[in-house]
Amino acid sequence: MAVGLVATVLAASMVTDVYFASNTSNSSLPWIPSLGVNAGVLVDPLSALFASLVAFFSLVVMIYSIDYMADQENLTRYYFFMLLFMSSMIGLVMSDNFLQMFIFWEMVGLCSYSLISFWYRRAESARAGVKVFLMTRVGDVFLLAAIALLYANLGSFSFSYITAHVENVPLPTLTAVAFLMLGGAVAKSAQLPFHAWLYAAMEAPTSVSALLHSATMVKAGVYLIARLILLFGPLTASVPMWSSSVLWIGAITTFVGATSALSTPDIKGVAAYSTVSQIGFMFTALGTAHSASSPGWFAGLLHLVSHALFQGLDFLLIGGIIHATKTRDMRLMGGLRKAMPITFGLGIVVMLARVGMPPFISFFSKEMIFQSVLSSGNLHAALLLYVSTAITFAYTLRATVLVYVREKSDYLEQVHPHEAPRMMLFSAGVLAVLCTVASLFGEPVSQLMRADVEIGLNEVLSPSTLIFLFTVFVGGSTYLVCCRKTSLAERLGQAPRYLNRILENGYFFDAFYEKVVARCILSISSGLKWVEMTVFGPMPHIFVGRIVSLSNVVNERVEKSLLSRLPYLLASCIVRLSNAIHENLEKSFLDRLPYLVANGVTILAHSTRYYLDVSADGLLYMITNKTLASASEIQKMRSGSIARYISAALIGLLIILVLTALTMLR
Amino acid sequence: MQSALLPTLLLPTLAAPFVYLICKRSSKVAALVIVLTCAADIALLSTTAPYILNGASHRYVESYSWIPVLHSSFMLFVDGISFSMATITLVLISTAALFSINYMQERKGLAEYYTLLTLLSVGLVGVFITSNLMLFYFCWELMLVPSYFIIGGWGYKEPYRAAFKFFIFTHAGAVFVLLGIGAIFMVTGDLDIFQARAALMTANPEIVKWILLSLTAGFAVKMAAVPVHMWLPDAHSEAPAPMSALLSGVIISAGAYAILRVSLGTVFPAVMSTSFGGQFLHGLAVLGIVSAFFGSLIALVEPDIKRIIAYSSIAHMGYVLFGLSLFPFQEATTGTVLHLINHAVSKGLLFLSAGAVMRQLEIRDVREMGGLAGQMPTTATTSTIAALSIAGIPPFACFISEFLIFVGAFQTIGNDGFYLIPTALMLIAAVLSLAYALRFVGQVFLGPAKHEKVSDVPPFMRLAMVVLAALVVVLGIWPTFFIQLIMSASSFLAV
Repeated sequence: MAVGLVATVLAASMVTDVYFASNTSNSSLPWIPSLGVNAGVLVDPLSALFASLVAFFSLVVMIYSIDYMADQENLTRYYFFMLLFMSSMIGLVMSDNFLQMFIFWEMVGLCSYSLISFWYRRAESARAGVKVFLMTRVGDVFLLAAIALLYANLGSFSFSYITAHVENVPLPTLTAVAFLMLGGAVAKSAQLPFHAWLYAAMEAPTSVSALLHSATMVKAGVYLIARLILLFGPLTASVPMWSSSVLWIGAITTFVGATSALSTPDIKGVAAYSTVSQIGFMFTALGTAHSASSPGWFAGLLHLVSHALFQGLDFLLIGGIIHATKTRDMRLMGGLRKAMPITFGLGIVVMLARVGMPPFISFFSKEMIFQSVLSSGNLHAALLLYVSTAITFAYTLRATVLVYVREKSDYLEQVHPHEAPRMMLFSAGVLAVLCTVASLFGEPVSQLMRADVEIGLNEVLSPSTLIFLFTVFVGGSTYLVCCRKTSLAERLGQAPRYLNRILENGYFFDAFYEKVVARCILSISSGLKWVEMTVFGPMPHIFVGRIVSLSNVVNERVEKSLLSRLPYLLASCIVRLSNAIHENLEKSFLDRLPYLVANGVTILAHSTRYYLDVSADGLLYMITNKTLASASEIQKMRSGSIARYISAALIGLLIILVLTALTMLR
Repeated sequence: MQSALLPTLLLPTLAAPFVYLICKRSSKVAALVIVLTCAADIALLSTTAPYILNGASHRYVESYSWIPVLHSSFMLFVDGISFSMATITLVLISTAALFSINYMQERKGLAEYYTLLTLLSVGLVGVFITSNLMLFYFCWELMLVPSYFIIGGWGYKEPYRAAFKFFIFTHAGAVFVLLGIGAIFMVTGDLDIFQARAALMTANPEIVKWILLSLTAGFAVKMAAVPVHMWLPDAHSEAPAPMSALLSGVIISAGAYAILRVSLGTVFPAVMSTSFGGQFLHGLAVLGIVSAFFGSLIALVEPDIKRIIAYSSIAHMGYVLFGLSLFPFQEATTGTVLHLINHAVSKGLLFLSAGAVMRQLEIRDVREMGGLAGQMPTTATTSTIAALSIAGIPPFACFISEFLIFVGAFQTIGNDGFYLIPTALMLIAAVLSLAYALRFVGQVFLGPAKHEKVSDVPPFMRLAMVVLAALVVVLGIWPTFFIQLIMSASSFLAV
């Protein structure tokens, strides 16, 4: 609650601040000087209009939240993100360069994510937040590419620099930039083919939806296109196909949104598709403009203001209804005009304003859109818009009938709906009054926007106005005449069943994104995961495993069978060799060697003795014989010579002695 | 010349034994000592900031004599890039230490754990602040060994299997790096990257080409570029959360830094004007795209909470490779280095938060989680901030760096039409990164609550996470300081 009050004060101060802004002014601080990026504030008519719009609606929604969110938990988080949402959007529109704008642009997406997933315990809310964030992120990436491309060519993000030097950008690059930015705007503003997220965003608390639809988030794309027309000026005309793309995207979205709103049973769904369709009107108008002075530019922005008023009001009422009935399904409602009379009265205002009845401001804005489209010569687009206008009345009428007018349903008998609390009615009332009387302030608004347009009731009687009102009448009466049943299919009978299916599935965009795109990506992911798990994951292990098994083979074959046994083999060889040596050499030879030697010696000794004895004896006899023979010879020869005899005898004696000694020694 | 850088390396080296001893008494004090050491290191480093910002060469150099035979002096230097990388490394190590106080509380062997963490910081900081290739390689391996033991010792289920894979892969990469460094020495006779760069300009381009390929292949393994990424999911998911934060935050970034500094900064200029130079950059771009898509797509379907983040790291290294492939453009290179820093902080935070969830729930499968935002508000907030930063959503850190890379890409398209399709593909990958980030947040924190009685994390873990979350926001809103620092290193990058 306190936070709500703070927000109120903040928002109020913003409003007064912004009213001073009647001239373009620009103040900035250095932020990333080495890249030449400054953080700056740009105040010009466009940003002033948007900033005051955002601040004002935030104020209204904050007041509304005091009662609407009263019994919720986590209000700190709620108000934190609401404030951040608001300030991001104001930052977005007041940035003076693309980088800063993009940062706030993304922060708007971030806040919408956290607010849509506010009831995070509910699986649908969590999923819806993801869907919204992802789909808008696709557009954000386009925008990012555009900004980067522009910087790569001009070397600056600054709006003023870009305006001054945009002529130097070659046309192909400029075309790419313009279309990429268009992609970003289309995704953010829920235009075809990215409109599916807006319905998912309905999971948010209704107060968040009110803010998201009236002033923030979806209007950012419109702002971007309007800003781009200002920046590129006359060059937008030279970019081939760009303006007509904007126009046709808008026109087709208008039709698709309106028809989708015709068949949805969800009360918030009607509002969501209505927003898609109304923003289509704005895009169509901007598609006819090539500068700020074009009527289309002002028409688009005026319609933005009027749409903000009645759509904001619508959501505030829906919030009260959901609060009272605890359901979003219109088939369960009915007869609320008695239970909620004030809400019913305000609901009639919404109905008339949405269709564009005078004197509501939306009458003037729609009227100007038709004029600008017709004057630009796009008859086909104008025709499509007329058809959509007719359908607009039809779906609005249908919703009113279903919710307020018809008999009370069984379901409501049990719930006992009651009128919404005071703060909620108060804030809704403020918007309703503004819705009604805003056309009186057309003059100051057009002056603020430097647009040369007159807004007054005297325009009501122009021929195009009559065509417009006639179309609306045709749409409404066709619906009433055909029947007042719940679904288009019943009205059309059985014949075009496929049409019914197409409408009920929102032209299958949702199905395409969820079933085809998301599923494709997920299955590719699963495929890659499989590759990762079966190929890449185990690959190192397989590789290492191979090495290990190779090692095992080496181990088994070489190491275990050969190398590890090699020492044993060697050893056993040696042992065997030793054994052989032992057996053959040692035992058979060496062991017996001493004996052999001894034997030999003995034998030698014996034989020696034998041979020595015999030869010694022989020698002795021989010597003795020889000696005796020689002695007798000498005696014979020298008889008588005793001396010679004696000496011979002595020699003989000596020899005998020797021989005797020899014999004795033996 | 004062000396600030040598103490930057010596301080944690000397602190390591003290950490060990202190931890025997109290592990909390030990962790705080690491934090203090890192803070002192940052203070030492920041004394060099004036030299970098205002000096003529935008570089601060210290030189000591080391191995005279190799003509290599012990060259330490910082320029804007080194300074930023080293600072963010120290920040991440100190928050990891803080986180460990509670996270590792019940584990055994904390003394060894904290000591290894301290040693890791020496290797990591060393890689960033040396210009001598020998010393660089030394630190490169010093970075590997403690991480191996931390993953193996305090990992999750099959830690040594993952740690082994990590070691084998990065070591095989390191062999290529060593080969390249050896070849540089052979060709130029010099190991200082700045002098080698000049000397290589006159070398035979055929040889330089192979040096470039060998070095880049080695660094790419560390970066986990896709064909050689297999170690990353295992190592990141098995490691304890603080180590995962470091692995994903700075260790793989070191690979990217090395490609920028050594491959592109030192070797590439020699072959830049040849046709091979263009092909090489195109190859890096293709590698980047493959990694980005592969990582993002698998992160979309992976059920394991930490493996989701691990694959997201692969995807982000894809962005970085793509950024590196835009090399000579200043915005792109600035964006790439800035992305390393921003990614380090954001991914570190995301891993810490995932660790917090795993610790409180004791499960890892995100399909079994849900609705934790109410029970663990701090963790939910920090995780969401980290995940959105990873997805490149402003005002969080990674946005601005991704944006700069894209700006560089569009500038390059003007010169080289080849980049048109890669840039478009990278933009698609940017959407995918939001998809897995939102899936992560959605499945873990949103939806119906599936667990009763889960409480938020203890104070030190919370402190570590909040510090990093604040850093993510601050770096997102005010990237000016680092952008200035990195751009001041442009004299090095100018070719």
